[in-house]
Amino acid sequence: MSGLAQPTARTGGDIMIEADGVSKVFGSLRALDSVSVSARRGTVLALLGHNGAGKTTLVNVLTAALPPSSGRAAVAGFDVSRDPHEVRKRVGLTGQFASVDAQLSGRDNLVLLARLLGADRKSARARADELLELFGLQDFAARRPGTYSGGLRRRLDLAASLVGHPDVVFLDEPTTGLDPSSRLNLWEIVEDLVAGGTTVLLTTQYLDEADRLADSIAVLSAGAVIASGTAAELKSKVGQRTVTVTPEDGTDPAVACEAIRRAGLEPVVDRANGTIVVVIEASKDAAVVIRALDGAGIEVTELSFGEPTLDDVYLTLAERPTGFAS
Amino acid sequence: MTTQQILGKPDSAPPAPEDTPGPAIAWDGSSFLTQVRILTGRSLRALVTDPGVIVFGLAQPVILLFMLTQVFSGMGMPPHFPKGISYLDFVMPAVLVDNAVHSAIQSGIGVVDDLKNGMVARLRSLPIHPSSLLIARSLSNLVRAAVQIAIVIVLAVTVLGYSPKGGVGKLLASAGLVLFITWTLGWAFIAAAAWLRRAEPMQNLAVIAIFPLLFASSAYMPVDDLPTWLGAVAKANPLTYAIDTTRALALDLPGAGAVVPALLISVGIAVVGGVLAAVGFRRPL
Repeated sequence: MSGLAQPTARTGGDIMIEADGVSKVFGSLRALDSVSVSARRGTVLALLGHNGAGKTTLVNVLTAALPPSSGRAAVAGFDVSRDPHEVRKRVGLTGQFASVDAQLSGRDNLVLLARLLGADRKSARARADELLELFGLQDFAARRPGTYSGGLRRRLDLAASLVGHPDVVFLDEPTTGLDPSSRLNLWEIVEDLVAGGTTVLLTTQYLDEADRLADSIAVLSAGAVIASGTAAELKSKVGQRTVTVTPEDGTDPAVACEAIRRAGLEPVVDRANGTIVVVIEASKDAAVVIRALDGAGIEVTELSFGEPTLDDVYLTLAERPTGFAS
Repeated sequence: MTTQQILGKPDSAPPAPEDTPGPAIAWDGSSFLTQVRILTGRSLRALVTDPGVIVFGLAQPVILLFMLTQVFSGMGMPPHFPKGISYLDFVMPAVLVDNAVHSAIQSGIGVVDDLKNGMVARLRSLPIHPSSLLIARSLSNLVRAAVQIAIVIVLAVTVLGYSPKGGVGKLLASAGLVLFITWTLGWAFIAAAAWLRRAEPMQNLAVIAIFPLLFASSAYMPVDDLPTWLGAVAKANPLTYAIDTTRALALDLPGAGAVVPALLISVGIAVVGGVLAAVGFRRPL
């Protein structure tokens, strides 16, 4: 091998993922509501959203596992409804749960997939070995995936989805449940993939992950794209500074919010972190927040300023999921 | 070789022909037969790497064989029992057909396992015909059933002194019929697996299926010695034909003519089961 991926693009541009007004209806549930996203070759598109936002459904439509109810989707130049077989030849999928044969060793799993994709025995083994080495799985190659740690299994699963040199790789919440070092390791793999010319679509609930990896981000909520653009664009769209206060333990957040609201500002409770986030126009508004809480007899244990981050994008744009209230 | 070369496109990838859109792909897929062959090999490999599967699979027919013959051979035989035949001779075909039912259920369990461990999800994301996985399951299970039946027959001959009158040729013919029934019945359970998709209802179905299928048949007693109502059920039970034929062949008794309904019923089960399995399996996960 002498070089990197040589794009042998078809005519008509380098758009590798394209969804145009895609809807998916399950009974009375509208899982996807006229979703449009696209990604150019060699870029990362992140679908950002909480559980149930429709991320996995969109991945299923784009990998030709589920037909869209309406709208059009094309991956690697092929329509997912008309040419699902051609789409499957060109995509790799790593789902939320490891999808490997528990009864075969890690290596045999990779060999099996290569053989099914049409490789002869020799090149299937060669492909398995190079992926095992790349993913640092050589020492575990002969063992069954059941004996792997969570991080190892995720790596094997990712390796499995790369066996066929896919043009487009779908990673559905690839780092959920991974420890920080495994997560970093996976991020580096994704960056290498993209440097090699592969197009990646990843779904995530982690904003730092989208910020670090994605060239463009689509924020999904209740099946609809509520915002999209680069990380910088999204931040500028929100364009607000925030003050985050942590009230003393035992404080009723509703009381604190009411006090802040009376002072003319709009607080948002982040129950997961036990904090209250307030969008501010100017620095003096921070003092307004403090005075309002002080006036209500609420002690503040921590106060911080935030420049716009993806968290704020999410809080500002996404429909408030359970656990968030305004 | 660098990381990016491994992750990117191989140079050996065939260039995209002018008339096909899209970039080159590394391997251009495999044929349906290749997929079936590779996936069958994969399931068989699990049998070799995990001998427990065979050992536990054998436990059922072997225990049944020894228990039945030890418990019932001392009993006085009912009036319609064939003359000059030991209970071992009589019950051996039933043990083999019982093994067929268990093996058939195992085909369904295998499909449920693949659904559960994500193997189906993985294969569905690849350019692979979903039916190839089902056919591979049915074939690998057939091999497994053949190994089990061979071991059971050898044990019966060597330990219990089983010596059917029909001779080796007819014994093999009866074993072949049992294997065909195993394979066709397997499709009923693969179809159930494709629709139920979970282990618990499959296990419940197995328990519900085994007892009536085997006890309301000619497996352990001649049909004419069963209570009238049960005898009527037994006469409608497809397994009765399978067992009668197997028995007639092995023991060189009259009644091998039941082979025609036995085969017809089996083929019917396979066709209906196969179609239902393919339709059920195609539904989204």
